[in-house]
Order: sequence, then structure tokens, then C-alpha cells
Amino acid sequence: MDIEQLGQRIAEIEAAVVARLPSVANVDDLRRVENEVLGKEGALGALITTIKEYPPAQRGQVGQVINAAKGRVKAALDGRRAALEAAVADAEAAAAAAFDPTLPGYVEPMGSVHPVTAVQWRIERLFERLGFTVEAGPEMEEEYYNFEALNIPATHPARDMQDTFWLTNRKVLRTQTSPVQVRAMLKYGAPLRIIAPGRCFRYETIDASHENTFHQVEGLMIDREISIPNLIALAHTLLREVMERDVKVRVRPGFFPFVEPGLEIDMNCQICAGKGCPTCKQSGWIEVLPCGMVHPNVLLAGKVDPHEFSGFAFGLGLTRLAMMKYGIGDIRVLNSGDLRPIVAARRLEGPVVAAV
Amino acid sequence: MLISLNWLRDSVDVPAEVDPHELAERFTCTAAEVEDVHRIEVGARGLIAARVEAVSDLPATRNLRLARLDVGDGRVIETVTAAPVLRVGWNVVYAPAGAAVAKLGTIGQAKVAGRASVGMILSGDALGVEMAVGEALFAEPALAPGTPLPPEWFDDWVIEIDNKSITHRPDLWGHRGIAREVAAMYGLPLKPYPVVAVEELAGIDAPPIPLEIQDPQAARRYSGLRLGGVPTQPAPLWLQLRLGRVGMRPISALVDLTNYIMADLGQPMHAFDGSRVERIEVGWAAEGEVFRTLDGVERTLPPQTLMIQSQGRSIALAGIMGGLETEVSEATTSLLLESANFDAATIRRSAIALGLRTDASARFEKSLDPVNTVLSIQRFVALARECYPDLKLTSPLSDCFPNPFPPVTVKVNRRHVTRTVGREVPDDEVRQILGPLGFDVTAGRRDLSVSVPSFRATGDVDIEADVIEEIARYCGYNRIPEVLPQVTVRRFEPCARLEVERRTLAYFSGAARFSELHQYLWYDSAWLTTLGFEPGACVELANPAATGLHRLRQTLLPGLLAALVRNRFHYEACALLEVGSVFERAEPDDAEFRHVGLVCARRQKGGENELYHRLKTALEGWGWECFGRAVSFGPAAVDTARPWEHPQRTAEVQLEGRGIGRLSAVPLELKRRMEEHLTAWAIAWAEVRLTGLEKLSPRTEALGRIPPHPLVELDFSVLVRREVRYAEVADRLREFTHPLLRRVAYVGSYEGPALPQQQRSLTFRVVVGDETRTLVEEDTAAFRATFEQHLASCGYWTRR
Repeated sequence: MDIEQLGQRIAEIEAAVVARLPSVANVDDLRRVENEVLGKEGALGALITTIKEYPPAQRGQVGQVINAAKGRVKAALDGRRAALEAAVADAEAAAAAAFDPTLPGYVEPMGSVHPVTAVQWRIERLFERLGFTVEAGPEMEEEYYNFEALNIPATHPARDMQDTFWLTNRKVLRTQTSPVQVRAMLKYGAPLRIIAPGRCFRYETIDASHENTFHQVEGLMIDREISIPNLIALAHTLLREVMERDVKVRVRPGFFPFVEPGLEIDMNCQICAGKGCPTCKQSGWIEVLPCGMVHPNVLLAGKVDPHEFSGFAFGLGLTRLAMMKYGIGDIRVLNSGDLRPIVAARRLEGPVVAAV
Repeated sequence: MLISLNWLRDSVDVPAEVDPHELAERFTCTAAEVEDVHRIEVGARGLIAARVEAVSDLPATRNLRLARLDVGDGRVIETVTAAPVLRVGWNVVYAPAGAAVAKLGTIGQAKVAGRASVGMILSGDALGVEMAVGEALFAEPALAPGTPLPPEWFDDWVIEIDNKSITHRPDLWGHRGIAREVAAMYGLPLKPYPVVAVEELAGIDAPPIPLEIQDPQAARRYSGLRLGGVPTQPAPLWLQLRLGRVGMRPISALVDLTNYIMADLGQPMHAFDGSRVERIEVGWAAEGEVFRTLDGVERTLPPQTLMIQSQGRSIALAGIMGGLETEVSEATTSLLLESANFDAATIRRSAIALGLRTDASARFEKSLDPVNTVLSIQRFVALARECYPDLKLTSPLSDCFPNPFPPVTVKVNRRHVTRTVGREVPDDEVRQILGPLGFDVTAGRRDLSVSVPSFRATGDVDIEADVIEEIARYCGYNRIPEVLPQVTVRRFEPCARLEVERRTLAYFSGAARFSELHQYLWYDSAWLTTLGFEPGACVELANPAATGLHRLRQTLLPGLLAALVRNRFHYEACALLEVGSVFERAEPDDAEFRHVGLVCARRQKGGENELYHRLKTALEGWGWECFGRAVSFGPAAVDTARPWEHPQRTAEVQLEGRGIGRLSAVPLELKRRMEEHLTAWAIAWAEVRLTGLEKLSPRTEALGRIPPHPLVELDFSVLVRREVRYAEVADRLREFTHPLLRRVAYVGSYEGPALPQQQRSLTFRVVVGDETRTLVEEDTAAFRATFEQHLASCGYWTRR
């Protein structure tokens, strides 16, 4: 092949490539074409190996012709590549413009715990941080632990206050979480720090603010030098923690057979901020924490020496606390099984467009 | 209980500048809870006493009458009145023209029913005695017509004390006891109690009343006195007004006087018609005895009812209510006054059994001070003489007190005081606190010896802690600085039961996305009938909240299904969760167990399979999460008594090879019974007994590791007849062993047009590898051949 023929051949190859380019639809195909033409074994690329067939004097010229051709083809390919990439970018931009980034996320129903459980867990975490252990007791309780061990003999007027569900087997549905006090003392001895959350039952007519089934958490702390100021300090800490804000407390005498002295700790009403409203019966205070120093007879029932040890106990109405925290006005919804008033709507429903 | 501030001032000079609200707040924080404080503002101006001279009907009207009143200074006026009862010769409260009360404004002259009416006879409600609406109040005869009635008799403050906060304080059931606390709170002296000396009462020269107490355990003390020259005129107006302030309706002189003493000292008294009672015996009612109380009701007496009797016939229900037969009336000229002390439990039991709670029984239930039987008579005579100078004592004070109460003295260890109050309380301060409350303190070397006054010694204060309470409350609970306790650190074993419950709740409400709810502890019989469930022997309530709620639940399912019905219109799907107690009859003791119940439901016909698997997945996750163990599922014989168990879809939930619960789907038949709408729903459920699982210590799962050489995954689809169970295939695959085999995992199952009829394809992913080298083509080819050979030997086709 002389130089002239070579020139012709190159021109043919170039023309064929240029003719093909418009029909190359994407960058991958373009790369394939490039390889077919400019690759080592490509139409143009392979020509360079023919250089040694020419006389040495012509070789320089041959090389130049081939390289020039390669350069032109490369430029044509690059031009096509730029056009293809621009088209892809345009398509991408068009797709992006059509996309609605404001569409809501996909919502799957979430699980939830009962509001009382949520408050209970919060209190448990607080007391665990204070070194208390969490105890449990049976809901079907022996008369002894529910009454006698708590210094409430059969003839005591306090049994009036405890309208009790009696079972035909002579046991009771516990009227309070206090039976766990004596059970825990017998199990661990003193010193002792426990709380005991759980369900309690009282024979009571149900209305918007009274339930026969409710939750309490019992607290009991026994050590060598436990005082009333200790009790008040801990109660105050507890109420602050549950309400997640600072609260005021008022301490006054109260009467419960299993404590002596007996106290009532009131919290400033969280609904009217102490100004007086129907919830606090205009007093500005809400009774939240019946408590006191453990009665010596109760310590003795738990086989703890009242001379060496003293302690305090309290009973916190978890149900009422949960109602205050979550703004539940009617106690009956808590045991109704209806999920609506006890589960945040967003946990169960799809995207909400508007809500009042 | 209602307390009048005017009345309190008889015993303690509360300074005029003390705000009654402040007093109430202090009382609440020191003694007992005040529920309400309110002002009685009668706004009386220019009221006088007037005597009724004549009363005539006004024919044209239905209930109006014309009264002629002597208004003093010889003046007589006529006024029209609606008061239903007016007695000629009695005094009324009269507002002349120009006088005023807040409720009615200024009273003038008017023409009523054609008659000129001057001024007005005031009714109880206009004077702040709310129980006497429209009824005239009568004033005592000692007030001459025209006597101005001082405005300060009418205006008052009423303090309402929460009865529940004084159940342990019999002394606080009267004004005198409240006054003692108020005096101590303000450091004021308690004024002497105006009484007639016992010596004078005992010295009357007349035969005593024969008194006999059958059972001194039940009737501790009985004191009595006979009186003659009994007034027929009303009690003093000021006294009636005070009764009105504390919620008692003025009735007649004698009743008002005894009520006044009860509200003053807390000691109930009873007045018998003296002519009908010869002697007093306190004894038990006869079996089946019927007795007519003074409210006119015939009552059959329950056993162990304590009665006041006279010559064997019952005349009063002891401590509760008098009898009709011996009631005082207008004809009564002589009285037998009773003031007694009864055993609290005896009176309480009878009052409850009779369904008759009275002001008297409410007080006797608190264990009253036996000293007050005599003190109340002393006070009664002093008060009655003041009002009725003609009164005569016709018997000496007669008193039967078989077993006088020994004085109570309590040793108080100073260290215990310091420990409870949180600071040292010097002896002098203790004396300053306890003295005004009636306690005597003698200081010993280590202990204080504290003698308890009789009015605190009937069960209220009898141990050291009771005395420390008195000291602590007067040190001021709100004045002690808060101090967090110093503690002994101890390690406690966590409560295993709660640990399991907490992890269970956290898992199901979190990762598994169930909503927790609470249900009642008892079955609702009506719902069980709907479900067609007969629970058999249950632990039962003796006093259920309502009929049909007497059986305690043995399973959480009926409650969860009821909750599902309640939620069906509000959600397209729901997943319900409850952790709670269930109960079983057992010997020797009935048992309580903790269960977790789960219901998964969706509005989708035929979705059971998917829900069943969702629940199964959740239970498997729970097993790993809570115990680090695999939950497995075994075949279960369907319990036909439990209609929520599906005949084909029921499995036993197992942990460590032991059955711990059930997994199933609700059959169509039950959905139909529950609620027609639920037939369009798929419902799967599971219930697991948590009790017993607390013994499983949570196992720590080994973590994954990166193998030194790459693993190769090979998928095999096994073609089996449709009725061949996965478990059977998996068992056969488990039999296969090979040195390169690392793991066999289930990928999925397929049935459909690509397969021959009645066939199912189960796909497994087999992972192979070697610890020492990278596998080559030949290794995997050889493994594949061996594995397929095993499948063939099991009779399974391999689908390519």
C-alpha cells in the first residue's frame, strides 16, 4: 500500500466513523466505536503497525498522516461525547424538576406503651439512678400483707377507707402497693431502698375521676438515720423529675395506719399554676403523695428493729400522674381498650395534612 | 366537719387581724386538712326581736298569713309572712322598715294581698341558716320585744375540715378540740371551759338513776342526769345561728342544746322523756328484735347490736339513734339526759349493718374520750341554766364506769426525736409544743416521759412515734430544710419477674410495633356468652363491681378481643398488647400468673397467614431479644373450650423445649359471633405465660466474625408436594453434613403457574466455605452434586 492508497483508506475510515456518529445513542456505545477505530486493533489504530512496511524515508510522513487522522477522529468522537453527556444531564435535570421533594415520608404504624407505663418507666429510671431497686408483688394479695402487716387490724376504721375487693378464697385484690413494703423487708432486711409499681384495686363506683382499677408506685427506704427532711427532699426530687419542671411542694400531716408520723405532700397545681381551678378545687394544690415515716409495727412485721433503723414510705398515684402529664381528663379511658385516647395519633395513622 | 370561727372564739381569742384563710392554711399544715373557708355575710342592720301576738290566714292567698307583732315600746304592727309555723307568744327575728339583710336588701313597707305589710319576719335562709329555707327562726323569750339583735351574731366564717383527715383524732370532732390546736398554733391560751362543778351535780339530794352495764367491753361508761322544769321555748337565737353555721337545723330547745354540746365537745348526748324511763340498762338486742327509731322507721336489729334498755325494753340504739317511744315532745316536762361512751368497733359494725350512719355514730366510731361523758353533762347544765333559769336538777349525776382507763404515759427517746425531725429538739421546745396540746413532759436522763391527756389516749397516741409526730408537726414540716438522705450502699438482685416483663413490653411495643393497653382483671360474663366461652372454675370475687363481673380472668384473650371490637372502626389495622395477671384455681392455694397477650388484626379477608407469620416473627425476635434463645413452635392439640383457637392454625409456643403459650388465628365462626364487621378482618393472636421464664438467665449471643476466606452462596429450590410441611423438609436438610457446609437458610416458598399442580417450591440458601483456602469452581461443583444427591435420596426434586 503506497502513501496514496493509505490516504484513501484513512479517508474511508474517517468518513465511515463520522457517518456512524449521529446514530450512536449513548456513551457506552461511543466508547465501543472509539475502541473499534482508535484501539490497538482498531481500524486506524492498527495502521500504525504497518509503518515498518514503508521505506525508512517515508516512515515519518506515514506516521504524521496516521496521527493526524487519529486526532481528527478523536475530536469528532469527543464532540459526540459532549453532546451525549449534555443530553443525559438535560434528561436528569428534567426528571429532577418534576420530582416533588415535599411529599411526606412513608409512615409505618409505631408501637407504644400505655401512658401509665410510660410514666412508670420514667419513675423507675429515676429511682434506679438513686440506687433503689424495683420490686413487684402479687395483685391477688393475702389479707395479712394488705392489712394486718400494715398496722390495719380488722376493727380499724381505716378499713372503711379501703373499700376492698374480696375474693371467695379469703384473699383480696390488693388495695395499695404497700403490701410490697413488708414483703421486701422480709426478703432483703435493712437497710433497704425499693420502689414497687403496680396495679391496685378498690371497690369504688367508676366515674370520670374514680376507677376501681388503677396504678400506684410504692417507695420504701430504710436506713440508720432516715428523717422527715430526707423524705421531703426525695419526694420533691421525684415530682420535679416526673413533671420535667420545677414544682412547689406543701407538706402537711396526713393519717395512714402504716406510717407515723403520716404526711401528705401536695404539689402546686400544674393546670392553673397554683391560682385555683376546678382540678385543684380552687386550692392551688394537688394531693399527690401520701407518705410518712414507717410505723414501728410495720418495721416489726418486716423483722426490722425500729430502734436501730428508721425509714420512710410513700405511695404515688401513677394513674393520676399520667393523667396530669398527658392531659387525660377522664380516667375511664385508661382501661377502656380504646387506643385513640391513649396513643399519640401519629403513631398509628398515615401522614396528617391538617389537625386541630 | 364545719367549724364556726365565732364559736371557736369562745375558747381562744383569735386576734381580729388573723385572716381566716391564713388560719385555715396553718391548720392544714399543722393539724388536719381544711377543704374550704367561706364567709357568712348576713349583712344584718337594724334587726330586732318581735313577739307574735296573733296570726290570721289571708283568704285570697295560698300560703301567706298576716302576723301581728309586738315590736317593743308598746308598738304593734302587722306584717304579711310566708313562714309556715308561727306561734303566738314566741319571738321572731324581725326587720322593721329601713332595716336590711344582704340577701333581701333594705326592707320597707308594702301592700301584699291587699294588706299593708310593715317590715318582715326573717326566715332562716335570709340569716344564713341554709337548712331553714322560708322558715322563721324563733328567738328565746328572754329577749324583750324591740331588743336590737347585734349584727355580730349573724356574720361569721365557716371552716370546713375534711372528715377523712381527722378519723384518728376523736378530739377534733368538736369546736373545743379544734380551738386547742388553734391556740397552740398561735401561742394563745385556751380559755377555761364553762362548766358546773361535778361536786354540785353529784351532791343533788335525790335518788340516783339506776344504771347497769351488761358488757363493759362494749359500753365503757354511762353517765346520766335527770332534769325538771324543761323549757318549751326555743333555744337562744345565737345558739341556733351557730348550729346553722355548722350545718345543723334548729329543731327544739332540747335537741338544739344536745346538738350544740356534740358540736362543741364532740360528745353525742341523748335526751329521753324522763317520765318514760325509770332506769337504764345497756345490753345486747334480742335475736331478731324489731325496734322503732325516732325517725319512725321500724328496724330489724342485726346480731350484736348494743341497746339502751329500761326494765328490759329497748329505748335506744346505743350510740346511733334514740327510740320513738321515749322521744322528747312538746309535752315533755322532765328529761333523762344520757352521755355515754361505747366501743368504737361495736357501734361501727351496727351502724354499717343497719345502714344508719348518724352524727353520733360517726363520732363514736372514732373512740371517744370517756372523760367527756361527765364533762358534757357539766357543760350542758351550765349552758342550759344560762338560757333557762327555771331548770331543776332532779337527780344527782349518775355514773357507771366499770373499768376506768389507766393513764397513758409514753417514753420518748431523744435520739429518736432527732432522727425523725432531722434536727435536735431541746427539752424546752418539746415542752412548749406538747404543753398546750395537753401533754405533760418529765425529762429523764435519756428519755422523756410524756403523759398523754385522756382526749388523745383512746388509741390516737399510745407509742413513741405518735408523740414524735406531735413534736414534728409543730416544728413545722414546711420549715425543715430538705436534705437528701445519707445511705448505705447495697447491691440488690434485680427482680427477675419485672426484668422479664420490662424487656417483653419494650420489645413488643418497640421493635414489634404493638400498642399496649390495660384491661380489667375480671371477665365480663355477657362478653363470654357472646364469645361462646365457658371458663370453668375461676378465682372469684365475693363482691364484684357489678353482676357478671365476678370471675377473675385466666387468659388475656377475651379482653384483647373486646378491645379489638372497640377499635375496629377507627383503624384499618391494629396490633394490641397487654401484660397482666391471670388467675387459676388450685390446691392448696389459688395461683396468679403473669401473661403477655398479643392480637394482630387487619381489615383484609384471608390475611391470616401473613398475620400469623408476623406474630411468629415477633415471637422469635422476642425470644432472642429477651432471653438470647430461640423460640420454637410445635404442633398443638386445639383446646375446643377456647373458641379463639383455630382448628388448623394453632401452634404451641416453646422455649427450651417447654410449652409456654399458644399462637393461633381467630376462626371465622368466632369473628361472626363477636361482630359482623370483623368477618372482613384477619385476626391472629398469641398468649405466653411469663411466669416461670424469669428463671431463664438471659444468654449472651455470640457475635458474628469475618471468615478468613470468602464464602460461596448456592441457592437450591426444592420441589415438593404441596402438603409436605416446611418443618419436614428442614429436618431432612439438617441431616446433611459436609466439611464445606457453613449454613443453610430459608429464602422463600413459591406456588404458581410455573410449577406443576399440587407442587410447591421451597428455596434454601446454602453457604459453603473453607477456613484454610479459597474455594475453586471444582469445590462448589462437587458440593452441589453431593447436596443434590442428598435431596434426591429424600425424594425431593431440585428445580433448576
